[in-house]
Amino acid sequence: MIDPAAVEVALPRTDVAGTAFRPAQSYWSESWERLRANRVGMAAGGLVLLMVAIAAAAPLLAAYVVHHNPFGIDLYATFSPPSGAHWLGTDEDGRDTLIRLVYGAQVTLTVAFLSVTVSLLVGGTVGLIAGFYGGWLDNVLMRFVDILLSIPAIYLLILLTILQPKIGPVQLSTSDPRSLAVIIAIVSWGGLSRLVRGEVLTIKNRDFMLAARSIGASDLRLVLRHLLPNVLAVMIVAASLNVGAIIITESILDFIGLGIQPPTASWGNMLTNAQTYFYHSVWLVVLPGALIFITVLAMNLFGNALRDAFDPRLKS
Amino acid sequence: MSEPLLEVQDLHTVFSTKEGQVKAVDGVSFELNAGETLGIVGESGCGKSMTALSIMRLQRPGRIVGGKVMFKGQDLTRVSEYEMREIRGREIAMIFQDPMTSLNPVYRVGWQVGEPTRLHNGWDARKAFSSAVSMLGRVGIPSAASRARDYPHQFSGGMRQRAMIAMGLTTTPHVLIADEPTTALDVTIQAQILDLLRDVNREFGTATILITHNLGVVAGMCQRLIVMYAGKIVEAGPTADVFAHPKHPYTWSLLRSIPRLDAETHEPLKPIEGLPPNLVDLPSGCAFHPRCAFRVEKCSRDVPALLRVGDTQQAACWVTQSGTELKGG
Amino acid sequence: MAEVATAKRLTRAWTVNDSLVSVTDLKVWFPVASGVMQRTVGHVHAVDGVDLEIKAGETVGLVGESGCGKSTLGRTIIRLIEPTAGSITFKGDDITHVRGGRQRALRREMAMIFQDPYASLDPRQTVGDIIGEPIDVHRLARGKERQDRIRELLRVVGMNPRYADRYPHEFSGGQRQRIGIARALAVEPTFIVCDEPISALDVSIQAQIINLLENLQSKFKLTYLFIAHDLSVVKHISNRIAVMYLGKMMEVAPAGQLYKTPRHPYTGSLLSAIPIPDPAVELRRERILLKGDVASPVNPPSGCRFRTRCPRAREHCAEEVPPLESFGQEHLAACFYPLEA
Repeated sequence: MIDPAAVEVALPRTDVAGTAFRPAQSYWSESWERLRANRVGMAAGGLVLLMVAIAAAAPLLAAYVVHHNPFGIDLYATFSPPSGAHWLGTDEDGRDTLIRLVYGAQVTLTVAFLSVTVSLLVGGTVGLIAGFYGGWLDNVLMRFVDILLSIPAIYLLILLTILQPKIGPVQLSTSDPRSLAVIIAIVSWGGLSRLVRGEVLTIKNRDFMLAARSIGASDLRLVLRHLLPNVLAVMIVAASLNVGAIIITESILDFIGLGIQPPTASWGNMLTNAQTYFYHSVWLVVLPGALIFITVLAMNLFGNALRDAFDPRLKS
Repeated sequence: MSEPLLEVQDLHTVFSTKEGQVKAVDGVSFELNAGETLGIVGESGCGKSMTALSIMRLQRPGRIVGGKVMFKGQDLTRVSEYEMREIRGREIAMIFQDPMTSLNPVYRVGWQVGEPTRLHNGWDARKAFSSAVSMLGRVGIPSAASRARDYPHQFSGGMRQRAMIAMGLTTTPHVLIADEPTTALDVTIQAQILDLLRDVNREFGTATILITHNLGVVAGMCQRLIVMYAGKIVEAGPTADVFAHPKHPYTWSLLRSIPRLDAETHEPLKPIEGLPPNLVDLPSGCAFHPRCAFRVEKCSRDVPALLRVGDTQQAACWVTQSGTELKGG
Repeated sequence: MAEVATAKRLTRAWTVNDSLVSVTDLKVWFPVASGVMQRTVGHVHAVDGVDLEIKAGETVGLVGESGCGKSTLGRTIIRLIEPTAGSITFKGDDITHVRGGRQRALRREMAMIFQDPYASLDPRQTVGDIIGEPIDVHRLARGKERQDRIRELLRVVGMNPRYADRYPHEFSGGQRQRIGIARALAVEPTFIVCDEPISALDVSIQAQIINLLENLQSKFKLTYLFIAHDLSVVKHISNRIAVMYLGKMMEVAPAGQLYKTPRHPYTGSLLSAIPIPDPAVELRRERILLKGDVASPVNPPSGCRFRTRCPRAREHCAEEVPPLESFGQEHLAACFYPLEA
């Protein structure tokens, strides 16, 4: 027996002759309203958006604001503290720290968001198919994912770095942000597919799926029109929470020398390079470190806010 | 006339939702005498469950904002949480609707049934367990000694409900509140459980509040009943009288809209028109008036009070209070 | 709605009182998997050899308690579930294992109404989309004509046509059920399986929906299989009632006869267990209380399934499965020691 919630916000006054009241509210617009009401989440999201904007505007900033480029070596001005010429000082090669941080943002954020997108596409598709069809297909796919997830990511990454395989016309190497993103996605889509599959299993047996089947909907229609919109929320939340993790992964890769190679700047490799100079130029360590920390925190807060917005029941 | 065992006086419980405040219990007053079975009837959202939870002070996230619940000389709405815990389970016991989730899946059934006596009587584990076993036997669980060592998932729905009843009775409470105890059960199991509740009432003398939406259940179990709608009591009285001549249009229409198993001919049902009330945006005056076949102008302006109508009944209706009989085609 | 849709239909039109749906020795078994390798260790005998005939224009009620297989039977008849054995005939054609195009054509003839008004509507779609989906899937109408049909369907089920732009969560249980009914009607079916359509609704709304279903039946010449556990409602709405227990048919009879002269002990106890909203009647009633709980559908009892709880059971009941025997006018019961008239 189902007991409808104690408060049923049914449309007041009776049926057929009734008049229209507030406009129809879809799940998405309701969720957006809930998100907007969450100040912390919106602030965090806004912060990330700001960083993305600054990163995207890197060349413009280099030309018109900062007047330095990230590769500009100036051996007369190494390790200079913040000054009028260099707002955040310079590093061991005299390069301007600020512009390197901005370009670093571009690299790091590209890796993170692109990787998450690829992960979502691959993992989401696999999860949808495995969950929807079940049976041997589900078994095969999930065992594959299990194997993938049991291999330590580091080894897989090292392997891919050494092998540098080609996917179509694209040569995968860790020094290029886009291919690094793809490599990280290859390693991390497994978790997402499990999550999606789990959600699909919850939804696919709901009555409305059976109802759609009973009126003659094809499998494709069931998956695209009914299943996907209901699973999307979970996918988006998982993706946004993954962004932070991938930023950290990228930093770790830089640390062991496998990630983005200098002189291209990324927050991770700036952090790594600066560790030798920790004692006399501590800001070279603190600045990229702080940016990583702030961005990861902001994405996590935003991801949580998204989850609360999409599924408010989870809170209480 | 002896003192009533439990007396609820003008109880008000509210809770907040995104759309506004809901008056879940809106001025409810009734008495429960020792040994009797009182039915609280109504549909979802009418406030019957909230009333019971408020008596037990389990109404959170709701808040009791007015009224009293007098039990053995104390006002339960005002006693401390510590004192309330003493009363819960020992003096007033409650059993819930869904037997699937009201037992903790990680503890053995016997251990859970023994919990009230361990807590309230201070019995040790062994004594509590053996008393639990004997109570399980009394509620009709076969091979109680071995079944008590089972986990809830090994029990069927009906058996779990019996276990819940056993748990409620181990401390021989004065009052047993049963909130839709059979709604989730098959009809033949329901009959067994209701039979058990009748036996329990006879054997232990426990006063029972039976909350349900099923008028048939109330007819067979309760000596008196109250009917709730939108947080208020709309009708009260002895069961036989309320069924024979209901004094509130809601009760009257409800009885006419239910298909009866023993109906001789196929008459089309006479449903109550309209929708259940929106608790955040209640109609003005009497909450039932938009759906009422007998409404007059006054009904949309003033909220009727629960007053005596006829010899033994009470109804909150301007129309019947002014002497009009409820009749219809 | 009276206009004939142009899409393909299965066969010719049917007249009242011809057999519309015929089920013969139907079995639906679900495998029970266990262990790491998910090996099949047994089967749930959800439907275990059921015969049933449904005539055009009538309402057959199907009752039973949890685990009896009534929902499974309903869903198998409309071919949402694959039968394990036996046959199903619709309008004379064998549809037991239809696939592809023929199955799609079948989906226009048979529709289903679900129990849970909160789960049976896709929360991400508007009401209009939900009702319009069958129209789209079968390409029955487009553009303005499609909009008109959707509005007409909403009107037919007693809802304001302007609600087509709204989302399900804005409606109450009863209204959602009306939307579900409108969706079922959108394919212009001949046969509708109603799977507990009112169990999840408030009592005051149930009567509205029952009346609606009856009106629609006479207006659109529908045939219903009405599955429910509330015999009072089933008796009201059905011409004939079939009683199931643990996957088998116990008794089939016209509604009035089932109540007055039940033959099967299970029916008898079922009837006596149903509370009647009349204190005078309730207090006088004689109850046939059953012992114990429903047995497991994985390992059903030998012989008559009901014997473990039956107050009249004897040794013979464990040895042989009682067949459905006739007790006069369309009244069948499967029992060796039936109740007296």
